[in-house]
Amino acid sequence: MLEVRNLSVAYGGLRALTDLSLSVAEGQFVTVLGPNGAGKSTLFKTICGIVAPVQGSVSFLGQDLLAISASARAHLGIAHVPEGRQVFKTLTVRENLEMGAYTKAGRAQWLHTLERIHTLFPILAERASQLAGTLSGGEQQMLAIGRGLASAPKLLMLDEPSMGLAPAVADTIFERISQIHREDRVTILLVEQRVAEALELSDHGYVLETGHMVLDGTHQTLLADDRVRRSYLGLTDA
Amino acid sequence: MDFEVLIENTLNALAAGITIGCIYGLMCIGLGLIFGIMRIVNFAQGELLMLGMYASLYLVTGAGVFAFLGPYVGPFVGALCAGPIVFVGGAVLHRFLIARVSGLRTAGSVDDGHFGQLLVTLGISLILQNGGLIVFGSTPETVRTPLASRAFTVDGFYGDATVFLNKARLIACAVAIIIAIALYLVLEYTRLGKSLRAAADNPTAATYMGIDVDRAYRIAFALGCGITAIAGGLMATYLSFGPFIGLDYVIIMYSGVVLGGMGSILGAFWGGLTVGFVQQCSALVLPPQLQNAAIFVVFLLIVMLRPQGLFGRSAERA
Repeated sequence: MLEVRNLSVAYGGLRALTDLSLSVAEGQFVTVLGPNGAGKSTLFKTICGIVAPVQGSVSFLGQDLLAISASARAHLGIAHVPEGRQVFKTLTVRENLEMGAYTKAGRAQWLHTLERIHTLFPILAERASQLAGTLSGGEQQMLAIGRGLASAPKLLMLDEPSMGLAPAVADTIFERISQIHREDRVTILLVEQRVAEALELSDHGYVLETGHMVLDGTHQTLLADDRVRRSYLGLTDA
Repeated sequence: MDFEVLIENTLNALAAGITIGCIYGLMCIGLGLIFGIMRIVNFAQGELLMLGMYASLYLVTGAGVFAFLGPYVGPFVGALCAGPIVFVGGAVLHRFLIARVSGLRTAGSVDDGHFGQLLVTLGISLILQNGGLIVFGSTPETVRTPLASRAFTVDGFYGDATVFLNKARLIACAVAIIIAIALYLVLEYTRLGKSLRAAADNPTAATYMGIDVDRAYRIAFALGCGITAIAGGLMATYLSFGPFIGLDYVIIMYSGVVLGGMGSILGAFWGGLTVGFVQQCSALVLPPQLQNAAIFVVFLLIVMLRPQGLFGRSAERA
């Protein structure tokens, strides 16, 4: 479904990603792991068209993404729930969701998806007419995910959805993401620092370090890997 | 009787304040859209008002709208048509100049592109003023309508006190209110309006939603230009103007927008109304040279008491 090949990205000479390849098949749950500064967000921004690559290719459902504008990519069925939530603070919760449904697919299924979003996150129904900027961090994250869902996407990309949230709230968020994957059959590409939870949910994982893909495999493979166990899970070999 | 004269003057100043204030309100909405909502500093807004006046003038006298629709309806149709003309001009201006210093291109930069906008629009303003002098000449003009010298009279308030309501201003005021409401409804309730607000709020996130942010900025900027131009066309029916008239009004527009609260269209309207009202009422006690001084005294007072403006609301969680 999503195919990233030999991608390199640089910010004014500074290499952020080097020769990176990744693929996500339809219906999969794929996680990208890595420490701060590894280039995870850059990868997402490149897929969404906010950052242009130096070389490499990105295709979605057989279509070359680099040939079309950033805003046109959303209309193909890619939803991005960005790092730091990025909700429209001066718009109401309801208006945020409506903007999520800006795409044709989103508008066509609006009533259906709205009901679904409200089932997943009842708080969003309660706060419908409140300005998004007045929500708590956890609620804003729920809104950001709901907004992503509102476009009725084929691929949902989530950039560190647990960042800055209380553990209990983060657990809820993970539970909902898993639900979206299982029940709505949305393909998921997740970037996370909470490695244990993320790997548990995913079919396939990639490990990024300073712009290089150092490891990839199924979650069993990754969980069994020494480096992952030591660096990300804090486990030492017994 | 002296008291009767005082009452009469006061009532007339109040009436003039409200009618002129509503037209100022519309004028401020144009800038409110560009500066308050899209956060683009535009010092050429006064010149857009001036262009609206001349567009209306040439439509009415040159293109024969006047002859076609008569001296009563013609000038107001001319004012309305000035809107789309300046809208197109604004879109072109945005495409070639403003887009380079605003929107996605400056999202997240240190100054959000404000320095660039300041210089570019100040330059545009100077070019339009002096270009206007070359093209239109320096003779003061006005879109003549017999309505400007006629008034409805209302009496029966107190003794022989009579309130005169200038017909040209009254119609201009009504048109201004209708357009202000229409624009408010479009911004608040339509998909287009919401997408403009989303693009202004967070350009990057708006792109993720599939909104063409560059186009959204262009529409908002052009719309702001067109609205101010309509206000200019309306003012041209009761005011004599020249190529430098923008200078007098750009400051009024900024104070109206800030007074009403950044980011609020309703606020910009009320801000403009307040400014017009204060300006007219100050004529009761102050010499005309000090009218604008009165505006700023009130402006400072309001901003001191309510820094976020009359209608400004904070969207951030405390």
